Amino acid sequence: MRTITFRIQRYDGSRSWFQEYVIPYESGRTVLWALIKIREEQDPTLTFTAACRHAICGSCAVRVNGHSVLACKTSLDELLKVFQTDVLEVTPLSNFPVIRDLVVDWRPKTERLKTVKPWLIPTQAGSAATGFAQSPQEYRRIASPTDCIQCGICSSECEQLAENPRFLDPFILNRAYRFAVDSRDAAPEEHIRPALESDLWKCLHCYQCVTHCPKEIRLDQEIAYLRQQTIRMGETDNPGARHALAFHDDVRNTGRLDEVTLPIKTEGLLRTVTRRLPFAMRLIRTGKVNPLQRPRPVRGIEGIRKIYAHVKEKEGKRQ
Amino acid sequence: MRLRYGFFPGCTLESAAREVMIATQKVAGALGIELVELEGWSCCGASHIQDVDEELALALNARNIALGEALGAPILTLCNTCTLMLRSAKQRIDEDEAARARVNEALRAADLQYRGTSDITHFLWVLVRDYGLENLRKQVKRPLTGLKVACFYGCHILRPPQVMGFENPWNPRSMEMVVEALGAENVPYGERLSCCGFHAVFPAEREVLRKTGVSCRSAREAGADVIVTPCPLCHMQLDMYQPDAQQQFAESIRIPILHLPQLVGLALGFSPEELGIRRHVVDAIPVLEAKLARA
Repeated sequence: MRTITFRIQRYDGSRSWFQEYVIPYESGRTVLWALIKIREEQDPTLTFTAACRHAICGSCAVRVNGHSVLACKTSLDELLKVFQTDVLEVTPLSNFPVIRDLVVDWRPKTERLKTVKPWLIPTQAGSAATGFAQSPQEYRRIASPTDCIQCGICSSECEQLAENPRFLDPFILNRAYRFAVDSRDAAPEEHIRPALESDLWKCLHCYQCVTHCPKEIRLDQEIAYLRQQTIRMGETDNPGARHALAFHDDVRNTGRLDEVTLPIKTEGLLRTVTRRLPFAMRLIRTGKVNPLQRPRPVRGIEGIRKIYAHVKEKEGKRQ
Repeated sequence: MRLRYGFFPGCTLESAAREVMIATQKVAGALGIELVELEGWSCCGASHIQDVDEELALALNARNIALGEALGAPILTLCNTCTLMLRSAKQRIDEDEAARARVNEALRAADLQYRGTSDITHFLWVLVRDYGLENLRKQVKRPLTGLKVACFYGCHILRPPQVMGFENPWNPRSMEMVVEALGAENVPYGERLSCCGFHAVFPAEREVLRKTGVSCRSAREAGADVIVTPCPLCHMQLDMYQPDAQQQFAESIRIPILHLPQLVGLALGFSPEELGIRRHVVDAIPVLEAKLARA
């Protein structure tokens, strides 16, 4: 008889260990089915949370073989096929304190969520009597971010958060975005500025959040939007914004990135000279970088500049 | 078999990762893969221009893709991030008629048109899907027997899967299949799907150097001789910044980093010098000499 072995990480408040459970294979089952079966038939002390079984309450997220999933939505057959195995390791979400076994503590996240004011700061355009009507187009902007069920998978997968607890969890950035783009919100900056102040520019562009989000929310595009808005708010005096603007300006100048001037544009001349000199010498010594060799304008640079002018004119933005 | 691609090198192949250009041209020549460099290509935006102006990033990459379409060939890149940026733009324009109209209005200023006729692919995918591993195996002149390789995929060749879609991002196999075809030995280790952090090395230096060290240490402790990556940006992070990352660790994290085309080139019989391997910060030559001599 084919079986599946689950190696589940246990935690009793002081001690952590892996415990193995073997169950008979059944086709068409989910991770949650397996956890419930183990609890009901083998070990009533196994602790996890789950409620709706329809991928809408967001309470059953765990990690399986290092990837965060909604237990109720994730097919065992698919996992066994992807990992070419009959052994699955189940661990609690990363980047959360663990309370017991697979149950994590949401309270610190909920407190941090408040910093982006995850509520509508209403405009004067509507009232309780007349309502706050939105056009279909305006509604579409908030439709995807509103899909978030706060399951914590993005937090668990975030590679910046793993190194830096100051960074806001992707679902919190999603919430900031959701209200910042809402046509009925009068104060987008009040949602965006707290994100900026919590290391918005430190997102690594690793796309783990997008890849694992059970609602396929494009958190990468939301983070890009929040960053664009901070630049429009005039917040350009930081390495992240200066770095992005260097690319933006270099491509208009020559069509290519100028690697030699990039650190200076990002960090300033003083910091580059005082901190980057050993690094630069290392690159010059191995022939990786030749400071005298700089990009020349590419063929068709006039066309590129016309594209810049056209886009900026259409957007009515500053050049 | 006649394989011909519009070649999009990306900025790093013209500068800090010139050795990838050298190695790729050697390998493509030996395998009979024709690479026609797109004349007048511009920076893909490197995942940064979109943080300033999304519409501009879209239009600039529409222009790059249009240059490839004019050649009537798929576009091939060597850089994960270039692949992601070009594929993201293509997907957006192909799925959104309004975006396509706007982009083509912008491209008219440059006498170009986006038609949506060229696919965008990566050197790794070309080896596996277009050239084929069986054919690659037949071209191996010097099997890399005994060389222990840790594959480091890099984010932007896998994620997001909605845009990349070549293989399952949770357990990809393409790199390991190439390594195996070349006769080398795959070494499993914990960080093969991790982010190198390159795109945030300025704003998040401490976190990124820590990640660099963890990735190198993990491969080293697993017994790998080298890390191999299909992305020049991952290479820059793991190689150029490795001495800086070392400062955050008491134990040695030292491990040489090879570009994928260099590993292929070694198996095709080229010398490390011919593949630009002397240009690396962490010297890969001693371990290659020791291992390849034994083969």
